[in-house]
Amino acid sequence: MPAVIFDQVAVAVETDHSATPKTLLDAVNLQITERRVGVIGANGSGKSTLLRLVNGLIQPTSGTVTVDGDDTVRAVRKVRRNVGFVFTDPLSQLVMPTGREDVELSLRRSHKNGSERRRQAEAVLERLGIRHLADQSIYELSGGERQLMALAAVLAVNPEVLVLDEPSTLLDLRNRELLRRTLADLDQQIIMSTHDLDLALDMDRVLVIEAGRVAFDGAPAEAVAAYRSWCLQGLGAPQRDAP
Amino acid sequence: MRGHGFLLANYVPGNSLLHRAPLALKFLLVFACGLASFVILDWRVSAAVLAVLCGLFLVTGAGVKRLWGAVRPLAPVLLVIGIFQWWQLGGPTAVRIVLNILVCVVAASLLTATTPVQKLLDGVAAAATPFKRFGADPERFALTIGIMLRSIPFIAGTFADVRDSAKARGLERNPRALVLPVFITSVAYARQTGEALAARGLGEAEE
Repeated sequence: MPAVIFDQVAVAVETDHSATPKTLLDAVNLQITERRVGVIGANGSGKSTLLRLVNGLIQPTSGTVTVDGDDTVRAVRKVRRNVGFVFTDPLSQLVMPTGREDVELSLRRSHKNGSERRRQAEAVLERLGIRHLADQSIYELSGGERQLMALAAVLAVNPEVLVLDEPSTLLDLRNRELLRRTLADLDQQIIMSTHDLDLALDMDRVLVIEAGRVAFDGAPAEAVAAYRSWCLQGLGAPQRDAP
Repeated sequence: MRGHGFLLANYVPGNSLLHRAPLALKFLLVFACGLASFVILDWRVSAAVLAVLCGLFLVTGAGVKRLWGAVRPLAPVLLVIGIFQWWQLGGPTAVRIVLNILVCVVAASLLTATTPVQKLLDGVAAAATPFKRFGADPERFALTIGIMLRSIPFIAGTFADVRDSAKARGLERNPRALVLPVFITSVAYARQTGEALAARGLGEAEE
C-alpha cells in the first residue's frame, strides 16, 4: 500500500468575521499505510479538510503531505493520478449527462482511441454491476446508483488510493449496504470519512478528528467507543414530552 | 432537483441517415441554422425551415416527446420575447424571431440527439487541434462543451426548484426571490464542478 504521510500539517483560512485566520487543522502527524482507514468526527471538525489534503485539493498552510513519496503541492498532477476522490454528493461530481459519458470522460487523457475508451468504460461499469444504468440520465438514477456511478468514474483510471468524503451520507440503508459491499471488494487503499459508525467499524484503523486535531488514532472499536462517549458527554438524558 | 429539464435532446441510439452523417456535416447544419436566423427575413421561410428540421428530428427516431422536451423549457422565454417584439416591431417580425430561435434549438437538438457525447467531444477536440500551436489544449475545448451540456439542465432545474420554493412561501411574484437563489446556486455549482474536475485531474494542461 502507498504510504500517505502528514508531517506537521496545519491548515488555516481567512474569514470575514475575524482578524486572525481560522484553524481547520493543526499539527497533524500521520503515517497511513493500512488498506482501509476511517475518519470520523463531528461536523466541522476537519475531516473533509484532512481528506482534501490527500488529493491536493487543499494545500497545507504549513507542513507537508506526501502520497507514495510525492508531495501533494509540488507533484499535484501525479498525486491526482494516483489518488481518486469521491465526494459526498455524486451530482456535484458527475459532470456529464449520463454515467457512461462520465466514465469515458475520465479516460480521455489516458485513452485517445474512442473504441478502447468505450471498452474500458464498459469493463469498469460491469465490474461495479451498473452497466445496465450506463446510458440513463444521471438525474434518473437513485442516490446509491449515482454514488456507484461516481465511484466508477474515479476507478476508471485505476488510482492506487481512493479517498471518499462521507460517501454514504445521502444514501438509504439499502444503498449504504450496496456501497459498503462494493468498497469491500476494491483493491485500492481506502481513506474514508463517515458518520456511519458501522461502516467505520469495517476499517483497519480509525482516526477521530476533533477541533482540527487527531483526538484518537487506533483500532476501530476503540475509536468508535471514544467518539461516542465524547459526543454524548454533556448532552444529558433525552427529553420526552408527556403523553 | 429537477435538473433533467433539459434544453437539448440527449443522445438517442439509432441508425438513421443523420446518425450516420459525418459530424462535420451536422456541425455545419447547426452553424447554417444559426446564420440563417440572421438572414431570413420572412416568417414563412422560418416556419418552413423549422418544419423541415422537426421532420428530420422525427426521422431520427428521437420522437415527439423528446422534441417537445427540448422546446418546452424555452416556452416562457419565447412568449416574453414574442410579446415584446410584437409590441416593438409588429406581428410578422415577432413570429419570425421566435421561429428563428426555435430553428436554432431544434438544429442543436438534432446534433445532440444523433451524436454520442464522446464523439461530439472528439470532434470539438479535433477541430481545436490547429490552435495547439498557439498553446491551446484541445481537450479543454472538449471539456468546456461537455460541461456546458451538463450545466444548462442543472440551471434550468435549479430555476424550477427555486420557483417552487418561492411559490410555497407566496413569493412567486418577487423577482429577487427567484433570481438571487438561482444565481447563488449556480455559483456554488460552478465551484463544486471546478473542484470535482480538479480532483479528477480533468482540465489540466497536457504534460
